Amino acid sequence: MLPATLDDVKVLDLSQGLAGPICAKILADFGADVVKVEPPGGDAARSMAPHFGNDPHPEKSLIFLLANLNKRGVRLNLDDPDGRELLRRMARASDIVVESFEPGYLAALGLDYAALSQENPGLIMISITPFGQTGPYSAYQSEEIVTYALSGIMSISGMAEREPLKHGGMQSQYEGGLSGAVAVLAALHARDVIGEGQHVDVSLHDVIASTLVIHQPMYGWVGAVQGRRQPSGSSYGHVQRCKDGYFIWQTGGGAEWSDIAEFFGPEALKEERFASVAGRVVHGEDLDRLVLEGTKDRTMQELFRTASEKYHMLFGVVQEPEDLARCPHLEARDFFQEVDHPVIGRIKVPFRLWSMPDAPAVYRRPAPLLGQHNTEVLGDMLGLDAGRMEALAARGVI
Amino acid sequence: MIRMTKMPLKGIRVIDSSYVFAGPYATGLLGDLGAEVIKIEGPERPDFTRGGAFSGLLPDNEARSDPWNRMSTYNLVNRGKKSLVVDLARKEGREVLVDLLKVSDVIVENFTPRVMRGWGLDYPNMKLINPNIVMVSNTGYGRGGPYSNYPAQATTQEATHGLAAITGYRGGEPSKAGQSYVDFLAAWACASAALLGLRYRRRFGHGLWADIGMYQLGCYNVSDYILDSIANGAPGERIGNRHRQFAPQGCYRCAGGDAWCALSVRDDEEWGALCGVIGQPELARDQRFSTEVARRANHDAIDEIIARWTATVTKIEAMERLQAAGVPAGAVLDGRDLHFDPHLKARGLLEMVRFPEEREMGPCRPIIGRPWKFSAMPLTVRDPAPTFGRHNREVLHEILGYDESRCSALESAGIVVDKPRKIREVPDLSMDQRVAIGRLAYWDSDYKERLGIA
Repeated sequence: MLPATLDDVKVLDLSQGLAGPICAKILADFGADVVKVEPPGGDAARSMAPHFGNDPHPEKSLIFLLANLNKRGVRLNLDDPDGRELLRRMARASDIVVESFEPGYLAALGLDYAALSQENPGLIMISITPFGQTGPYSAYQSEEIVTYALSGIMSISGMAEREPLKHGGMQSQYEGGLSGAVAVLAALHARDVIGEGQHVDVSLHDVIASTLVIHQPMYGWVGAVQGRRQPSGSSYGHVQRCKDGYFIWQTGGGAEWSDIAEFFGPEALKEERFASVAGRVVHGEDLDRLVLEGTKDRTMQELFRTASEKYHMLFGVVQEPEDLARCPHLEARDFFQEVDHPVIGRIKVPFRLWSMPDAPAVYRRPAPLLGQHNTEVLGDMLGLDAGRMEALAARGVI
Repeated sequence: MIRMTKMPLKGIRVIDSSYVFAGPYATGLLGDLGAEVIKIEGPERPDFTRGGAFSGLLPDNEARSDPWNRMSTYNLVNRGKKSLVVDLARKEGREVLVDLLKVSDVIVENFTPRVMRGWGLDYPNMKLINPNIVMVSNTGYGRGGPYSNYPAQATTQEATHGLAAITGYRGGEPSKAGQSYVDFLAAWACASAALLGLRYRRRFGHGLWADIGMYQLGCYNVSDYILDSIANGAPGERIGNRHRQFAPQGCYRCAGGDAWCALSVRDDEEWGALCGVIGQPELARDQRFSTEVARRANHDAIDEIIARWTATVTKIEAMERLQAAGVPAGAVLDGRDLHFDPHLKARGLLEMVRFPEEREMGPCRPIIGRPWKFSAMPLTVRDPAPTFGRHNREVLHEILGYDESRCSALESAGIVVDKPRKIREVPDLSMDQRVAIGRLAYWDSDYKERLGIA
């Protein structure tokens, strides 16, 4: 077996939803022993759609499955003083705690970083929340669209004459988990070489705002503010229709204009007026019409392959979720993992974010059922005996 | 708590041989963490953020004699680095890179696989040069699989990796959103992989290779839709600003021009609170809206009611009043607002980068720092981005130990230079023209006074 980069690291994942759990899952994928601690009612992700078979059963949440692969699970009641004591003891035996509670919640329970690090100064805690631990919005309620609005990204998304438009899905959650992984790995590196733990505060709002590397500095350089897309004047860089779907193309890549004109087909595209950027902007409507003429009877897959393979063009096609589910490239890159889940059964789950042949992300177990590893984890980690565990279970602590 | 006196990546040398956003941003962040980052560009291949469509704008729209050192996006992404310009298309230039690899810890690169193989700098060869090197390769589709040689860039990938299919106005066409979205997923992935690689090396005594493909990262971020398709055969959907479950959710026009507030109502209690805020508490009991299912069915009617209220208040008032009642709401901030928002200010997301006087960049400019706060490591942007070739001599002489005659031979042969031989143009347009053709929404001529950097 190949050595795993993080197989000497113990992680307590107290986080819920998607962002924190994804961060902890990345640690688990590279070998960390991650224990997911859920409240008696389970992680909120268990009630988030979609569910397997559209059955809102807490063990059939596909988001929970995705974000908690490779973890063991404990169900623990933090409202009970014995539950809090168990968590303190687990934190003492851990290297990293991942959490996503509303700021102040853990402090009120006496379980914040200051408290947990007293007995374990090397402990790293990472908090991943919508607005971070400090600042006037830290207590704000949030949803994906709210994070998006305040981050600045919606002001440049969509059409100028219409309302700002959010990205589809839950991008800030996924992206916050991935960006959080950088932060927690940096803190782990600091601990490895300097020997000290610390608290890392990640704000999803800051994460999305951090992607505005074109937009933001325009103001500080010259007072300029970009808006949303104008209805005309940009004749490419947006989707266009073909026989069975949509495609998008750009100049650049390895293709000259003559290649692009040949790829689309209509002779008129070879005219001098389309050969320059300025010309293509001025003659945008004609260009769109000719491109449409050359593509209306062609399929997405044919266009994608021909443009990319033969003409070395920058070319994309609008793939639907079902296209991705059976994408040969994703299969070849080992993106999916076959998972045997005790309630869902056998299912293919997106798993590998990138490839690292010498120390790859390794699949070890499906997402835990609620409280599945209570006995194993509390026995292993804290040495609790069966009698003690029964007593705790009887009182609803575990 | 004791503040760490030394930066965690101090003593780590990183070669940034990547272009545009993903690799350069990742290595810029590694620099913030204390690494010494050497950016390598070619005489005929300056970074694409030094000119052209990805480069942003010039300070006060003035090119001066070296526009390639002055572009906004270049300066944000490449903060704190050293610049070495060497022609890797020439054998003597590749020798410089090979020598540098021998004394470096990490290389982040985004050349096409064919180019790296041709130069003998793919990982199997790189490992022979320095078995301890951590190599992070970032390309559109990664180094294996049927699409691996396809040209790619974020805008076209946004369609291919599944985001466009679920982004767009309700019932409308697939749409792109934001700017170069997947590049930033790749930036976080490159930085994560570099940090994992360094830890792997410390533990197991040799380096490794990370093969990152942006397509795969973008696909992962629509996993909930992929799984819904696998498990339930569900299609993608474009629902604009609405939520699959919660209602109402949307982005509503407020008083004051292009001003908007987004909000989301997650349960009946928040609905009741919203009705109170907009001065129509009776709607909370209205049967058309009293349950989530009913609100989803009558979403259009609710949108009209909310929009009538938001039109009477500013976006900030709308946000503050809704949040005070416990309803998730956020003003749509634009590029100017980001610089004055009290929350971003309190968190210090934007940092002032100071430029030496001879750069003629003005004394300082605000740029994005990083979205994480470390309790024991007070990170800041350490230095401005370097001018083209600024550290050629320092790298050749001090790091590689080349003597004077070898340095000047490389310079006189045009292999090591400090002026690009080719540069993408920045259109020479006035700020008002940029607004007129729709490239900008507006500009503030008094921005320096507003920012306090005059």
